[in-house]
Amino acid sequence: MNKVKKTILLGVFVSQALILSIIESWIPIPAPVPGVKLGLANIITIITIMFFGFREAISVVFVRCVLSSIFGGGGWMLFLFSISGGVLSTVVMSVLYKSGRNKFSITGISIAGAIAHNIGQILVAAFFMKDLAVAVVLPVLLVSGSIMGFFVGLVSGFLEGALRRTRIFD
Amino acid sequence: MLKKGDLIILGFAIILIAASFIGVSIYKSSGENARKIAVIIKDNQEIKRIDIDAVSEPMEITVLGEYNDIVLVEKGRIRFKEADCPDKVCVNTGWLTEKGDMAVCLPNKTMIKIEGQSDDVDIVTY
Repeated sequence: MNKVKKTILLGVFVSQALILSIIESWIPIPAPVPGVKLGLANIITIITIMFFGFREAISVVFVRCVLSSIFGGGGWMLFLFSISGGVLSTVVMSVLYKSGRNKFSITGISIAGAIAHNIGQILVAAFFMKDLAVAVVLPVLLVSGSIMGFFVGLVSGFLEGALRRTRIFD
Repeated sequence: MLKKGDLIILGFAIILIAASFIGVSIYKSSGENARKIAVIIKDNQEIKRIDIDAVSEPMEITVLGEYNDIVLVEKGRIRFKEADCPDKVCVNTGWLTEKGDMAVCLPNKTMIKIEGQSDDVDIVTY
């Protein structure tokens, strides 16, 4: 794949991820604790890992977090909060994906990524609030993250098949 | 569709979830029957400490900063009532009623949490 095509595709991925996180923010989730969300943008992270690799996926996550902080507001704190979860889950998912698709299914990789995301965010929150008590939300986050990770993994699997048939990545 | 390695991930997830549930329930049950003290913290500094069981009239506390939060206290409960931060996570958390409950406004670095304070007498003098 030549460089221009790659740049364009990654740009499209960033915009898709942004749109997904905006749509996600419109869907209210009744949850007893803060931080429960669908994690739809993770579909794009998984697809980028599959078709490009770790470096490209980290870039997409980084640009997505920068742009969503600019558009969504919230400043440095929310940026650091989203980037920490994003980077940790991308690292975990890339390692699992590289270590062999015959060992892990996309669904399993996605669940691991969701858990890593939650843990990364709690660590950053605990660091900035200087209080480990923020971890009281962890049980609920881990359960909801695993459930959503499962569905995000399913969707990513379907999307992978559809994208392979289009041959745009050849 | 499920592969061998998935079982490892699932097992790991179940262990993590179980461990966090146990940890939180230990934390919440420690110091039971204690008075419920709500603490408001801004920029890692405690700005107010309220015995919420002793509150008779509802009152509002305004926390000013990069963003502004209004904290509402009633008998036995406390919450973020309003905030002008963009994500409103703190307001959506709702009422805090039990020890260990907590609401955080990350953009404003403000946190309310309920701590227990033991009723035990420290020293008795005559």
